[in-house]
Amino acid sequence: MSLLDFLRSAFFNLGRRKLRSSLTILAVVIGASLVSLLLSLGIGVEGFLTAQIRAMMPPNVVMVAYSEQVFEIGFTGPMFGGKPEEISEDEGGSRFDLKPLTAQNREDIEALEHVERTDPYILLTADSVRLQGAEAKFRTALSSLPAYQAEMRQLVAGRHITDQSLGECIIANGYLESFGFQQPQDALGQKLVIQVKQAKGIFGLPSEIKDFNFEIVGVAEKTVNSTEIMISIEDGKEIARFWADSPNMYSDELPPSILQAKVDGSQYAAQVAQEIEDLGLGAMTSDDVLGVIGTIFGIIQAVLSAFGLIALGVASLGVINTLIMAIYERTREIGVMKAVGASKSTIRLLFTVEGASIGFLGGIIGVAIAYALGSAINWVSHITFLKDFETFKISVFPWWLIVGVIALSTIIALLAALYPAHRASNLDPIEALRYE
Amino acid sequence: MIELHNVWRLYRMGRETINALASINLEISEGEFVSIVGPSGSGKSTLLNIIGGLDSPTTGRIEVDGQDLSKASDKELSSYRNKKVGVVFQTFNLQSTHSALENVSLPLVFARVPLRKRNQIAEEVMKTVGLSGRLKHTPSQLSGGERQRVAIARALVNNPKILLADEPTGNLDSKTSEQIMGLLTSLNKERGITLVLVTHDLKTAEHADRMIQMFDGQIAGAADRK
Ligand SMILES: Nc1ncnc2c1ncn2[C@@H]1O[C@H](COP(=O)(O)OP(=O)(O)OP(=O)(O)O)[C@@H](O)[C@H]1O
Ligand SMILES: [Mg+2]
Repeated sequence: MSLLDFLRSAFFNLGRRKLRSSLTILAVVIGASLVSLLLSLGIGVEGFLTAQIRAMMPPNVVMVAYSEQVFEIGFTGPMFGGKPEEISEDEGGSRFDLKPLTAQNREDIEALEHVERTDPYILLTADSVRLQGAEAKFRTALSSLPAYQAEMRQLVAGRHITDQSLGECIIANGYLESFGFQQPQDALGQKLVIQVKQAKGIFGLPSEIKDFNFEIVGVAEKTVNSTEIMISIEDGKEIARFWADSPNMYSDELPPSILQAKVDGSQYAAQVAQEIEDLGLGAMTSDDVLGVIGTIFGIIQAVLSAFGLIALGVASLGVINTLIMAIYERTREIGVMKAVGASKSTIRLLFTVEGASIGFLGGIIGVAIAYALGSAINWVSHITFLKDFETFKISVFPWWLIVGVIALSTIIALLAALYPAHRASNLDPIEALRYE
Repeated sequence: MIELHNVWRLYRMGRETINALASINLEISEGEFVSIVGPSGSGKSTLLNIIGGLDSPTTGRIEVDGQDLSKASDKELSSYRNKKVGVVFQTFNLQSTHSALENVSLPLVFARVPLRKRNQIAEEVMKTVGLSGRLKHTPSQLSGGERQRVAIARALVNNPKILLADEPTGNLDSKTSEQIMGLLTSLNKERGITLVLVTHDLKTAEHADRMIQMFDGQIAGAADRK
């Protein structure tokens, strides 16, 4: 029998018992659509987060601190929870205890192969931003970036800042509305006032407030980071020095605690990170962060798709049941087929293909339904809470998901068919022909 | 062509053992027409099923065309049933959901003949049994005689050397029976096909070259008509 004959026979037999076949297929459809819809949502959201992180932390940058733990605070500690860790005495109690890197450290890092340059990682706090001459103040998150990182942000108007930029900034798209600009172009050339209050103020010590003036030279595309204002490293240093009331900050006397090393190719990032760790320092790449996100999403998706898998498992019982019923109904037919030359393996394959066809049809219909639901979710989200992210889809169907879910349902149904198929193939032809 | 050496077929029913066949020795040569007669339960069908490769002896040896069926694997046996022998049953055993043409071409499916060729061959064979106008009919739309012709066409479609018929006219009226018998004997006479026919009817049995009498699972006697 050729494969075509097996398929013809399988679909003919499924068509003979339309209602029963449809119900069995429906069970597979439910499982397949659950698995694929949940996975597609997971892929969409993960892709969105990944893109955002990629924009904030380029793949060719290695972050360096005196210890690995500095990075764990932000990325693994709070996300994983768990019981409090025991600490050794020399480790100290506070993980926020940032020890500065030395000038020697920086020279060592810059001497590594593939490292092009290093820049301090500057954490900035500003109290507010307002248009020069206007009253309304807005919240802001300042990013002090080397030009090569600032250039990774997509602009809708203007130009990027350079490493030599002084008093120039790029604003997040969200500010257009806050400042009342109709067009992104309207913002260009406008002056901003960023107000910074010294850190001492937090402890009630006498502190100063200072205004820093910037000119808007560019407007960024929409991202999750809707309050970001990007300035050059030099401007960042100046603000940070005022904020900390420490004029020597970010000089060789008082070096930064976190450096960002630029690598001349993202494929070397992991290697450079390893070499930096070999120097006794802590290093982190964007892949490390994405790895953590990937792990978390992997767990979420595994849990979610487990529901779909359970549904598929239940559906496989339906497949077994349907095929065993079919054997009873078609006992004489099986006898005739054997009498005219069907071997055991032919009969076995006949029923296996019939079961797999149920899974295949269920898989196709299930994925199609999930795709339709996903598109509906995307559509609804774009007119509601995701209005500002036209290119982002919550539900994403890469080809491998479509193929994978159809293959999975087919294989599960095929496995379910093995036992009934084995039973059918072992029927004795004489007894089968006598069967009433 | 067909050789049975000391063939036994036992059925165990609790403590009892039924000898459906006991110590059968039989030789049938190529092109021969043998009829098997005997009372109900004497083992005629059992013997035919063993020759047809549908059943195996409990002990003993059966050889067809030099092939030892008692040692054959499932693959070899199914290929034997497919190509070497054709079986015609008393109850026709047609697939009720398929057309006459599809029924006739079923053995060709397992012989891996492509669809187009299958239909062509099956149509040809249906013509020789006088069913050219009944290709699309399902068994329920056919008369008893026509159904048996479909069954015969199916048995012939792979051009077997041996045709086994187990009371092929048992369910038919006498006129139709005669037509079917005429068809079977002509296949034997004109095509030289080896024909083994089980029947209750002595008159029918007498058409054969040799008549074998069975009783209680044993061959009680044989009459040569040549
Ligand atoms: N599966 C079975 N289990 C037990 N006994 C069986 C089985 N099949 C056949 N027999 C017995 O074997 C004997 C021979 O049966 P068989 O069908 O060969 O007889 P037969 O000569 O063809 O009879 P009939 O003319 O009625 O068709 C019978 O006594 C029958 O009861
Ligand atoms: Mg019988």
